[in-house]
Amino acid sequence: MLDLPTRISDSLLELIHAQRFLAHLVIDDSQQLTQAGGHLAHYGLDDLQAGCLASDQIPFLEGLLPLAETPFLIRSMEMPSGRVADIHFFADDGTVWVLLLDVTAEYEEARLVQQKAYDMTLLSQREARLIAQLESANQELTRAHGELAASREALLRTHDRLQQELRDAERYVRAVLPAPLAEPMAVDWRFVPSTELGGDSFGYHWIDAEHFALYLIDVCGHGVGAALLSVAVGNTLRSEALPRTDFLNPGEVLTALNQAYQMERHGELFSTVWYGVYHRASGRLRYASAGHPPALLVSGSGEAQPLPSSGPCIGISPAARYQEQQCSLPSPARLFVFSDGAYEIHRPDGSLLDYSDFSEILALPGRDGQSELDRLLEWARETHGDSVLEDDFTIVRMTV
Amino acid sequence: MLQKKICLLGAFGVGKTSLVRRFVDTIFSDAYLTTVGVKIDKKTLAIGSEQMALILWDIAGEDAVSAVRVSYLRGAAGYLLVIDGTRPETLDTAVSIQARVDAEVGSVPFVALLNKADLEEDWTLAPERIAALEAAGWNFRRTSAKTGVGVEETFQELAARLAP
Repeated sequence: MLDLPTRISDSLLELIHAQRFLAHLVIDDSQQLTQAGGHLAHYGLDDLQAGCLASDQIPFLEGLLPLAETPFLIRSMEMPSGRVADIHFFADDGTVWVLLLDVTAEYEEARLVQQKAYDMTLLSQREARLIAQLESANQELTRAHGELAASREALLRTHDRLQQELRDAERYVRAVLPAPLAEPMAVDWRFVPSTELGGDSFGYHWIDAEHFALYLIDVCGHGVGAALLSVAVGNTLRSEALPRTDFLNPGEVLTALNQAYQMERHGELFSTVWYGVYHRASGRLRYASAGHPPALLVSGSGEAQPLPSSGPCIGISPAARYQEQQCSLPSPARLFVFSDGAYEIHRPDGSLLDYSDFSEILALPGRDGQSELDRLLEWARETHGDSVLEDDFTIVRMTV
Repeated sequence: MLQKKICLLGAFGVGKTSLVRRFVDTIFSDAYLTTVGVKIDKKTLAIGSEQMALILWDIAGEDAVSAVRVSYLRGAAGYLLVIDGTRPETLDTAVSIQARVDAEVGSVPFVALLNKADLEEDWTLAPERIAALEAAGWNFRRTSAKTGVGVEETFQELAARLAP
């Protein structure tokens, strides 16, 4: 301790008293307030009553007395007046002295510094959390990207495998198509599915030495399901596999075919079929149609004659019956049987070709040095404005 | 009237002052104003047929350079240990304070408040950490000084535990 002369220590006390608004409380060992003095009003403590329980009048004393240690200091306590005081506790011979010294100015200064420091710390903590969240999100995205890449690889492998299977299936569909014939009648064809697998199929064969069957099937839609059904129908006709059916009789053939291929048992698919039987010796053609576009007969003089036919599509109604038609094929003549995809072609302006446009083209005489059917296919593609047609393009030509 | 001293302790910025303002004055402000030193408030509650005055010590929060003076807890009947659910480091501070209170003052009843429940979607506290502390005897309550969720109930519950 400083050994100051009494005059100096008294002056120092007066200075503290004046500048620090010194106030004091004295509490006895029964926790009664016995004295109170100094700048009590400065702290909002001017209504204190001696002889009463101190903690009832001064809430911050609750629980602190008797003192566990002395001296004891509570820094920067906000007082009822709003001023801020350091509270000093001293035990002295059975009593406790409580001294209040105003530190409001220091408190304000410390509060400003602390506010800035805490604001900065909270901001940097928030920034760190956001960075951690971003890094976590980035890791998650990287992981997801890896998984997507793996999925894409797997999808590509599956796609490649399916493409290969489709190509195999297309090869099979083409393999069961008959080769063109040169004699005794020339038969040629063009078959261009709109996708790898189309719903069109066709065939022709000799039923006996005199009768030649020719047929074309167009199953609704494209793809594997339509191709499977089309090939199945074609095989049925090729192998004449309809029981109790005279394959020389087109009406009977289509009636039996319709009963065998009802759509509820064939993937909800229906089809159009044209079936004709040519008798070579007489030049007669018997034919019937199940919802199929009329075949076109072009005489040697270039006259085009649609062959009328009627009958519902195969697969829709089990009660359907088909009537055969007959006509004579005068030699020389060309008979064209085709699917609707051969002529229902959209032009670039959106308009649609129709049957008569197509029949006019078919009636044109063939040019030297170019196959008529190749020319026809080229015309279809040029008219559409794209080498890939919207629908299956299938046409069979028999020349007598 | 029965008086009980209750201290609010925790890291800075966890919402101790806001909880007192919500409980005593039923108000809330989004502006963050730091606490220096100690601020005393008083609120009287009815516990059954008795009145109890809670003397609330809102003590400046702990930071990296200044520790809470646990000697201020002398004479406290209980304390509230406040944690900011959006700042996991404030749970570490709470654990440290509780250990020091136990060592320097002795066993004092407390409730741990997971505050800022209005921002619960932004909470980053590990559930297993909370479960471990609960297993160690900690009593957690979810509170929001902003919405008032859990505040009155927590003070009432603590006061009821302190009633003779």
